[in-house]
Amino acid sequence: MRARIAPEFIFDMSMNEHTLKFFGEELNQLKAEVARMGGLAEAQVADAIAAVSERDVALAESVVGRDRRLDLLQHDIERKSIRLIALRQPVAQDLRRTVGAMKMASILERTGDYAKNIAKRALVISEGEPITPLTRAIERMGKLVAARLKDALDSYTSAELDQAMNVWQNDEEVDEHYNSLFRELLTYMISDPRMINSCAHMLFVAKNLERIGDYATNIAEIVHYEVTGEEIMGDRPKWGGAAREDAADPDLEA
Amino acid sequence: MPLVRASPESPPEPTPSAFAVRSQGASAIVVGAVAAGAVLILVTLGKADAAAGLLTAAVLVAVGAVLNLRALYRGAARQATPTDAVASPAPTDPGDVQTYVSALELAPNPILVVSAEEADDLAGRRIAFANASARELLRVAREGALLVAAMRNPNVLEAIDESLFGGIDRVVTYEAGGPQNRFWRVRTNPLPGTPARPRLALVIMEDETDIRINERMRADFLANASHELRTPLASLTGFIETLRGHAKDDETARDRFLAIMGRQAERMARLIEDLMSLSRIELSEHIRPSGICDLTVAVADVADALAPQLAAKGVTFEFGLPAKGAAWVAGDRDQLIQVVQNLLDNAIKYSPVGGAVKVDVDIDLTLDAAAVFRPDARRLSAPDGGRMSLQTPTWSADVRYAILRVADVGPGLARETLPRLTERFYRVEGQKSGERSGTGLGLAIVKHIVNRHRGGFLVESAPGQGAVFCVYFPMTQSPGGSQPGPKNDRNTPLTEPSVREEIKLS
Repeated sequence: MRARIAPEFIFDMSMNEHTLKFFGEELNQLKAEVARMGGLAEAQVADAIAAVSERDVALAESVVGRDRRLDLLQHDIERKSIRLIALRQPVAQDLRRTVGAMKMASILERTGDYAKNIAKRALVISEGEPITPLTRAIERMGKLVAARLKDALDSYTSAELDQAMNVWQNDEEVDEHYNSLFRELLTYMISDPRMINSCAHMLFVAKNLERIGDYATNIAEIVHYEVTGEEIMGDRPKWGGAAREDAADPDLEA
Repeated sequence: MPLVRASPESPPEPTPSAFAVRSQGASAIVVGAVAAGAVLILVTLGKADAAAGLLTAAVLVAVGAVLNLRALYRGAARQATPTDAVASPAPTDPGDVQTYVSALELAPNPILVVSAEEADDLAGRRIAFANASARELLRVAREGALLVAAMRNPNVLEAIDESLFGGIDRVVTYEAGGPQNRFWRVRTNPLPGTPARPRLALVIMEDETDIRINERMRADFLANASHELRTPLASLTGFIETLRGHAKDDETARDRFLAIMGRQAERMARLIEDLMSLSRIELSEHIRPSGICDLTVAVADVADALAPQLAAKGVTFEFGLPAKGAAWVAGDRDQLIQVVQNLLDNAIKYSPVGGAVKVDVDIDLTLDAAAVFRPDARRLSAPDGGRMSLQTPTWSADVRYAILRVADVGPGLARETLPRLTERFYRVEGQKSGERSGTGLGLAIVKHIVNRHRGGFLVESAPGQGAVFCVYFPMTQSPGGSQPGPKNDRNTPLTEPSVREEIKLS
């Protein structure tokens, strides 16, 4: 599914030389700050997953502590974007890039919140008995989500449309992992009630990871809009077809 | 290791000014050359620690020389070099300096020179130079990219900042993530600035993946091996005790027990073999394979070797293969054979007696096309059926894939088991893989080999409707260097006659 390039975009290309040199620099600055914030969010997610799988209390605490930096960065990027819109009144792709930066900042801040939440639950989970098969499954799902986030952010920094579309189309895998993990957790809880506390927390960890995967998809949508000026139309392809609705899908928000 | 051309274009005629200054720069150049040479040798020998210090020193000199060289090119030659840059008053011999650029280019470690403006100007931090290895790893241009476009890790960025603005040497480690996960040790050092670029820092990355994977795998191997070998071992010990005790003189029982013991010993041997093979693959997973292999030929070879098993079970293969020489993929032949072997083996194992296994190869697919290759609506719409990717390669433009599709008519798999198929020792509940029971490592091995080859792995199945496994690998030029066989443009059928045959062995 390749997106059509909007006429507006072609118009842009000829306008690329900004009349004000500063303006281009400010836009670059904004993009760089979003990329840095993305790197921070990525690290938070990776560390949160490691805290769960390795039962690392110190790491979990440092993830919780570092979340504030993401909040500050978000405010900073929003302030700069608003200032840029107010003073320079950007149009066409410049406007999309500015608005895109604001959207990215809020998505990354929320991603960081989920990572913080996972880290908090890691603290509780590490107090209980280790359940290695489950933490391994969480780790696998986490790696998958982290890789998607990485691809999405790579497509943002490089403005690669094809790469963004690839991220956008392949979110099925994360959902499948989530559903599989959900069933497995239920089985554990039924068979041994002492596990319920840890398992319930892992359930939320899995849910948080799934949400982070969705955010990666949203980032891909922002990249698409920023580059082409068009929103992605249509539903994402679902391989599962009818099976998806029939299955005991625990994701009620979907 | 590819040789870098010493001078990309014919060197400019040395002008009088260049001659005049040559002697001044010469001594610095010699030091740089010696140090850079020593580093290359040390690094290639793998003595990373010893090399690190020297490397830094050499790069400092070489980088200085690079920057000076560019100034000279600009001043002395009419047109600037393509990568033009810094004005610096100390010119040197362009020929020598070109050697240092090559030396830096050739260094196996990714090396970056980062320049910066003010501390709060993020967009001012740019890559002043990236060597070949860094360009490949970080997918950036040789010069001019934003630093954050190449590197987002907060710890590394912080270390670079400390070198740029604090003049401090730092060493940090980071994990790159992605399918072929790699671990890096990153050294950052302040560099003396030039008038045009007052703040410079050097970033050298060392690959630590081998060490980290080794550590983790030793632990994994022990855990897996001890756990999985315990069962057959317990059974062996049990029978030995029985044979020593009351079954000592019972001839029929003895024969029967020995047969079982033989099977258990075989199983242990297979397990160990698979575990070792998995370890080997995992160790080289981040290293791209170098050979090439014709997928059609690999399939035909494996099918021939499996003839006895086919005959024993009355199973037939139905082939849909392109002509020989059409499906060249970049890969390690032995490992690709192992993938084909494991998939066909599984298909035979789970096929009912007299069943047919469909084996198809198709070529020239894009990543998108490979991911949705020949879906079966019947399986996808079944109440508990589905299709999912077990391994997806990182997206990259212009790569075309050759796909192998193996479809059996066995009992099939429920949707919720699909994501777990490549786990080690995962067994679908209530399913017996027949007499020659597997080790539970076959699909894990497939997944790791596919990942090493930057390929993909799909499964599609529904209970009672059989299972389909697809693997796809990046295609490459045929060894002759000519067109890799007939072009298949997704919409048009193969122009060359494809080999369609059916082997009946029962």
